[in-house]
Amino acid sequence: MSEAIVKVRDLHKSYGDKEVVKGISFEVKEGETFGILGPNGAGKTTTLEMIETLRPIDKGKVTIQDINVADDPQTIKYMIGVQTQSTAFMDKVKLTELLEQQAAAYGEKINPHELLKDVDLDEKANSFIENLSGGQKQRFSIAAALVHKPKVFFLDEPTTGLDPQARRRLWALIDKVRKQGVTVILTTHYMEEAEVLCDRVAIMDEGKIVAMDTPENLIQQLLKRGFKKKRRVEQADLEDVFIDMTGKKLGG
Amino acid sequence: MPKWLFTVLVFAKIGIRRYFRDRLAIFFTVVFPLIFLFIFGGLAGNNNVSFSVALINQSNSQIAQQLTEQIKSNKTFKVSPDINNLDLAKQKMSRSEIDATILIPPTFGDTAQNGGIPSGKAVVYYDQNSAEAAQALTSVLQGVFNGANAKLVKLQTPLSVTAQSTNETGLSKFDYTFSGLIGFAIIGLGIFGPVNYFPEMKKQGILRRLHITPLKVWQYFVSSVLSNSVVGLFSIAIMFLVAISIFNFKMAGSYFQLIIFVILGILTIFGIGLAIGGWAKNERQAAPLANIIVFPMMFLSGTFFPRFAMPLWLQHITYFLPLTPIIDGIRMIATEGKTLLDLGPQLLLIGVWAVIIYAIAFRVFRWE
Repeated sequence: MSEAIVKVRDLHKSYGDKEVVKGISFEVKEGETFGILGPNGAGKTTTLEMIETLRPIDKGKVTIQDINVADDPQTIKYMIGVQTQSTAFMDKVKLTELLEQQAAAYGEKINPHELLKDVDLDEKANSFIENLSGGQKQRFSIAAALVHKPKVFFLDEPTTGLDPQARRRLWALIDKVRKQGVTVILTTHYMEEAEVLCDRVAIMDEGKIVAMDTPENLIQQLLKRGFKKKRRVEQADLEDVFIDMTGKKLGG
Repeated sequence: MPKWLFTVLVFAKIGIRRYFRDRLAIFFTVVFPLIFLFIFGGLAGNNNVSFSVALINQSNSQIAQQLTEQIKSNKTFKVSPDINNLDLAKQKMSRSEIDATILIPPTFGDTAQNGGIPSGKAVVYYDQNSAEAAQALTSVLQGVFNGANAKLVKLQTPLSVTAQSTNETGLSKFDYTFSGLIGFAIIGLGIFGPVNYFPEMKKQGILRRLHITPLKVWQYFVSSVLSNSVVGLFSIAIMFLVAISIFNFKMAGSYFQLIIFVILGILTIFGIGLAIGGWAKNERQAAPLANIIVFPMMFLSGTFFPRFAMPLWLQHITYFLPLTPIIDGIRMIATEGKTLLDLGPQLLLIGVWAVIIYAIAFRVFRWE
């Protein structure tokens, strides 16, 4: 973890009169997993979309490996992979074909079976996307986003709507991607997810970053301010019970 | 292979495979036009002029009997059975169920007045609406009577007319219907298809995923045109098979030239679908716009009715619609045996439209 690969400076975005991103700045180091947390409507998705070249930047500057996103979006597109909130793909197309097509968009020829093995879906190679479960779709969608071996990988609320086991399985997959040296930037509103996956997190509220640090530091700072939980936290919670009782079966 | 070509070919290949797995799409692009082909082909197949008439014979004479038989066996007349009185016949005429009524009065065939030779006057009743039909019918009937007269009295006919065929195969009604229906198939595939699935793909975020990649709009357009052309040629090939095997259609021109021409047609019309579907954010925007464009074009370009049946001023205007040169060109190659070299005006019109349509389509396209 050395050089900052993604640099965001004073980013602004308005829809009509409403300013949804109000001058945010942060840097993400190479190989780091960076989380953007916040309630719905905090501006997380809009921020990601500006970095991903999908939305024009009103004001401010984003660079990835010192290439300005606004000036050269076409080059940026080869460097980034994006897991969108929607996991929809064309129906009646086999998984292998979808991956071939996705790679062809980058001008690349790939071996789809290898990629499917990486996400434990090789036995579904000839299935259509509409026959996969929610968790399988998410995993497939990650494989599709990584066909061109991007340097930076964006995930927008990757585990929303998944059951706890599918979520854990996805966490393991994201961790695997990170270990391959890919820089990961994700948004979430599950705090546990941020704690498990992220080296650093930025908390957004109403278009601004209100805190940014490692999860441990943020917790320590809060405790130093004299915060006490109203109820003593047990060493296990209901989710742990659920995972323990159903965990032998791998989630979808 | 250049990278862009690889990209385009992979997208086209998968698009084509997907089409052949989609039963609904096959129904709308293959079966649907075939249904119209059977309906309109069946209608157009009956090329003979005929009149449906009521025949009321009130005379008992032998000559009346003979004439009645002759009229019944004449192909020009379709005699409705069961109409045996004038009141009922008038009622049917007023409902346009029959064109006219031939009445043979009781005195018909009397030999008393004319020195042993039977005489009489048949009456043709007709409605205001079918005056023309009654005129034609009366002269045909006169022909039948002339034949009968010639047997009764020796006639001299110094002046006469005979009809002779020129032996050239003119265009039959089916030829017009067929090329029009190919135009209909091209519209269905090129406009109704993308107008439905583009907004759907936007809604689901499928186009957005492509937007994230370096894929360029023109690459996407080219691959879509390719897969659409393959599907279109498949659908039209089936229509040709049916037309040849069932409707005795005879291909006059070169299949190769027809394929080239049809691809140009599909390219142009599909551009309209790309422009509407690519622009619209959702189905509610796409459907009305598509209908406004498609329906006038469908009826004015000779899809279901040949354009020559229109008033001249309307023919001049509709000549310039994008679908008109396509339908005209297909008919000229397929039924008149013309070559692409003969289709200069049609190719020019198609080319101009293609440039206009794709300029708009590129400008208004949205990935999400």
